[in-house]
Amino acid sequence: MSTVQYDAIVVGSGISGGWAAKELTEKGLNVLLLERGRDIEHIKGYVNANKESWEFPHRGIMPTQQMLEDYPVLKRDYPLNETVLDLWVKDKESPYTETKPFSWFRGYHVGGRSLMWGRQSYRFNKWDFEANLVDGHGVDWPIRYEDMAPWYSYVEKFAGIQGSKEGLDVLPDGEFMPAMEMNCVEKDVAQKIRQAFKGSRHMFIGRSANITEPHQDRVNCQYRNRCWRGCPFGGYFSTQSSTLPAAMKTKRLTLRPFSIVTQVLYNKETQKATGVEVLDAIDNKTYTYQAKLIFLCASSFNSTWILMNSAQQIWPDGLGSSSGELGHNVMDHHFRLGASGKTMAFSDRYQYGRRPTGIYIPRFRNLYNDKRDYVRGFGYQGGAGRGRGIEVAEFTIGKSLKEALSVPSDHWGMGVMGFGEMLPYHENKISLDRSVKDKWGLPVLNMDVEIKENEKKMRQDMMNDAKEMLEAAGLEDVHTYDYGYEVGMGIHEMGTARMGRDPKTSVLNGNNQVWDCKNVFVTDGACMTSASCVNPSLTYMAMTARATDFAVSELKKGNL
Amino acid sequence: MNRRELLRSIALLTGASVVGADFLLIGCTNPAAGPALLSAADIALLNEVAETILPATDTPGAKAAEVGSFMSVMVTDCYTKEQQAVIINGLKELDVKATSTAQQSFMNCTAEKRHEVLTVLEKEAKAFNEARSDNEKPVHYYTMMKQLTLWGFFSSKTGMTETLRHIPVPGRYDGNVPYTKGEKAWAE
Repeated sequence: MSTVQYDAIVVGSGISGGWAAKELTEKGLNVLLLERGRDIEHIKGYVNANKESWEFPHRGIMPTQQMLEDYPVLKRDYPLNETVLDLWVKDKESPYTETKPFSWFRGYHVGGRSLMWGRQSYRFNKWDFEANLVDGHGVDWPIRYEDMAPWYSYVEKFAGIQGSKEGLDVLPDGEFMPAMEMNCVEKDVAQKIRQAFKGSRHMFIGRSANITEPHQDRVNCQYRNRCWRGCPFGGYFSTQSSTLPAAMKTKRLTLRPFSIVTQVLYNKETQKATGVEVLDAIDNKTYTYQAKLIFLCASSFNSTWILMNSAQQIWPDGLGSSSGELGHNVMDHHFRLGASGKTMAFSDRYQYGRRPTGIYIPRFRNLYNDKRDYVRGFGYQGGAGRGRGIEVAEFTIGKSLKEALSVPSDHWGMGVMGFGEMLPYHENKISLDRSVKDKWGLPVLNMDVEIKENEKKMRQDMMNDAKEMLEAAGLEDVHTYDYGYEVGMGIHEMGTARMGRDPKTSVLNGNNQVWDCKNVFVTDGACMTSASCVNPSLTYMAMTARATDFAVSELKKGNL
Repeated sequence: MNRRELLRSIALLTGASVVGADFLLIGCTNPAAGPALLSAADIALLNEVAETILPATDTPGAKAAEVGSFMSVMVTDCYTKEQQAVIINGLKELDVKATSTAQQSFMNCTAEKRHEVLTVLEKEAKAFNEARSDNEKPVHYYTMMKQLTLWGFFSSKTGMTETLRHIPVPGRYDGNVPYTKGEKAWAE
């Protein structure tokens, strides 16, 4: 056993952990960044980034029988793909149990899911932070939009978010790089939606963490749309392209891969954490590291898993469990349904380049004078494109088939998919399942989460409103679809260590401090009190930057 | 074209959901496939089937794209045992069909005769697929061959860069460029 002393320890190197490492080192702290998986070096580590389709044995699309066998969870949706297979967790090494079906798609390596994320970057709005208070679901957020706004600006400027300013309260503008453009069909649809709904519904380019101008040492997006394999240009925000180099530059960062944090070490006398215990994933030995500050950014459920495993002699259910809320109030975004249609107009127009974002339609339900038989709302992501191949007569093969498949389609297609808010239900929970152990002999998580009536009612609107808008925009053959949703598929798992105003009903205070242990901070998705319907990562970035600022000022005042 | 669109377009063209790609729905758990199941002669035959479906024109065809080898890899690695049996048996049936239609083996047929044999199979496969009592039962072997041909050719180097257009690093995006009828489609 060896013990080393740092100012701060950050657990996890994904979107939140990368930000914590950057902020804490830049504020002068010596930081140990612990990552449970392997290192992936920026650019050099993106082994498939420059491969073409024909360089993959199965052309990157169809899974092999071996993949289906090895990835029983990942195969439930699109992430099972040979072009990015090495970036997802091997399900069999890291199992979990399901009381109700839950898809958990994880990335255990330096950068975490910041390498594979969808990059959609939206601010929560003022109503999102008041929603729980207003309709009584969950507990009130201890912060408001005004508390977050400067931190959104701060992280947007550094991360590089492209988008258009729209002046809408429902989706506050940020510090944007020049926006990517909508294509001719999307512009037409956007204009027709605005007209048809008299300015109450809006469609514009999806705001994303893809840079459209050179930024720091990063090259602007080259429109390859292969982001999730890792970008050799640094065209999108990831730990590797953005926060990790900044933290490294301070020379105050130590990065330790293959470090599974098994618990936060807690001192009963001082009522503070003294450090963490690490199980080395390679040599299976245990190490301890000491620090004055601990930031848990291990991903929502894994941060909570660490808390559950910590200080059990004092609290049987773990550090931060005194409220009875640790592990509860799991949320995700429910989606995978919407509508699509086509237009025969614009047949003399085509696209050049592969834009790595689509369009966005912000929430319009249960706002202003609109009132539905459910609470909260949903937004849409989508896009238009001109596919390949024109129709041939039945049984055609040979030259005419080849020619028909070599030209663009005679129409443009346009589709939208709804992303809905899921309420924080106390009974939706994760817990330790000691009957099953992972590859390292550690207890696994059990998932007991479902969507309820509010979400199911909302899903009707998500489908019907999509159809209504596309039809209003003059598209033809508009049909709805529902691919079915299993909780977790949004890969937006949130909650389990929520923030609140009262230590009796929440795990964290308004500064992301664990009520029961003030030098431990949780700033990833675990902290979320409600989910909004917008993609959450930008909020984790802002939340993390805000919490580090508070933590360091408290440390300097001698309060921690 | 994203994965879902690609699968949909191949399914539309072949009248059946793409074999091996419906794993999301059925959650197959067959064990991993062993060594390659198809011989060099099988691959040569599949190359000719593929070439008949997508022949060389002013650009190379499926044979030049080595679609036969691609099919062999896909059948070995991605098909279930049941699906493998169908396509392997289909290689024999193909010759039976060629003999009854053109009085010789498929390999010995002229290009015209091959076209004729596959046109017969197009119709037979459609009728077979539609008559299945259960959509989870394997489709006709010819449907498998055609799906893999379309898939393999348009994701091959020649298919993507000569029959279609492909720019690895576009550098910019323009969603409103003029299009003149007859211009090739983008591969991605």
